[in-house]
Amino acid sequence: MVKKRIAKILSFRYTMMAAILILLAGGLVLLPKYQESEGIPAEQLLSNIISLERYVSTDQISDKLISQDPSFILIDVRSEERYNSYTLPNAINIPLKKLLDKEFESYLNQDQYDVVFFSDDNFYADQAWAICNRLEYKNLHVLKGGINKWFTTIINPKKPNENMSSKAFELYTTRKAASLFYGVVYPDQTKTKSVIKKAPRKIITVKKKKKMPVEGGC
Amino acid sequence: MKELEKTKRISIASTLFILAVLIGLFTYKRPKNTYSHDTKNTLEKVSNYNYFINLNDINNQDYALVDIRSAFDFEKGHLKDAINIHTPDFLNEDNLTIFKELKNTNKTIVLCGNNPQETNLPFLLLYQLGYDNIKLLTVDIDYNQNRLIAKNSEIETSKADVTAFIQESVKKQAEAMKKAKVVVKPKPKAVTAPKKIIPLKKKKKMPVEGGC
Repeated sequence: MVKKRIAKILSFRYTMMAAILILLAGGLVLLPKYQESEGIPAEQLLSNIISLERYVSTDQISDKLISQDPSFILIDVRSEERYNSYTLPNAINIPLKKLLDKEFESYLNQDQYDVVFFSDDNFYADQAWAICNRLEYKNLHVLKGGINKWFTTIINPKKPNENMSSKAFELYTTRKAASLFYGVVYPDQTKTKSVIKKAPRKIITVKKKKKMPVEGGC
Repeated sequence: MKELEKTKRISIASTLFILAVLIGLFTYKRPKNTYSHDTKNTLEKVSNYNYFINLNDINNQDYALVDIRSAFDFEKGHLKDAINIHTPDFLNEDNLTIFKELKNTNKTIVLCGNNPQETNLPFLLLYQLGYDNIKLLTVDIDYNQNRLIAKNSEIETSKADVTAFIQESVKKQAEAMKKAKVVVKPKPKAVTAPKKIIPLKKKKKMPVEGGC
């Protein structure tokens, strides 16, 4: 009786063994869920955060805009309302809230252009940067100081004191010239223009009269 | 005899199988720090703006101030009751246990640095790692004669209306132009000068041709 039962159980022994092994193997499949955690590891993100390579200065951006460098796109992460009131030339508006929307992904997730985030300060731009950086988007930058810095350096540069170095003066004149490019007009500009207009008239008439007799002599 | 060979083969196969499973288990590395919030979730938190706190509100038993500046700066001066965890050391085990403890005791971590911009990203990192009991102190820290001065600071306020400034400058220029026009009215008359030049040029050509 007992022998019969044992024999019955033993006839299933191979299927049971296979079942146990498959269960064990199934356990492995459950393990790797940690690796699915989205984006770059936290250690990497931390070291990216500490490094200040992401910042670009307003002067650099201004230079690029003036030379019409096609290799970068400006992204304004402020609200639409603020974007409409003032933004940098050719900037694209992606409000921070909509950063991860599908329609904007093609701007951010590519490796052809340098992406430069900016906002009023660099606070929200930094946040946009951090989120995109975690998603391993490439070539991301942040405009240091944002629009506020842009205003104080490029649009309305401060005149250096007389006892400052000549470099400060050079910087001031380049910045002032740059601001002309962005639509600012200076009152003293008109004076210089009128002076230029007067000068050539006199020169042309006088010179040509002088040449005349010389040619005739030949 | 046949039965014996069969079991031999099966036992070899099963040991190999188990070995493979064991190797898989042991070589599997669990990442040390895992995110508990994905980027979408983080973005939602970030755009809800409820994580700022200013100097007037930090006198609360439930708040634990964490100073993220370097030890050197911290020694020079720091806010009352703050502990120092420099940003690069955030993921050290000791510091992680501190953060975990603060979370388990239901305390709110309040991060502070030299300015909110500096605190911003460390804050975001800790949040993504699951320490969501966290706030950001909007403060500017400065020193005056070795004394610490902490001021509330504002984030993302537009300090100047650029459009208005540009328009203003255009207006000013227009006014200046008006003034200039009033003073130098004879200018438009002088514009006729180019006409004079044209006849002069014709005269030039004539004698040259004759010379040939």
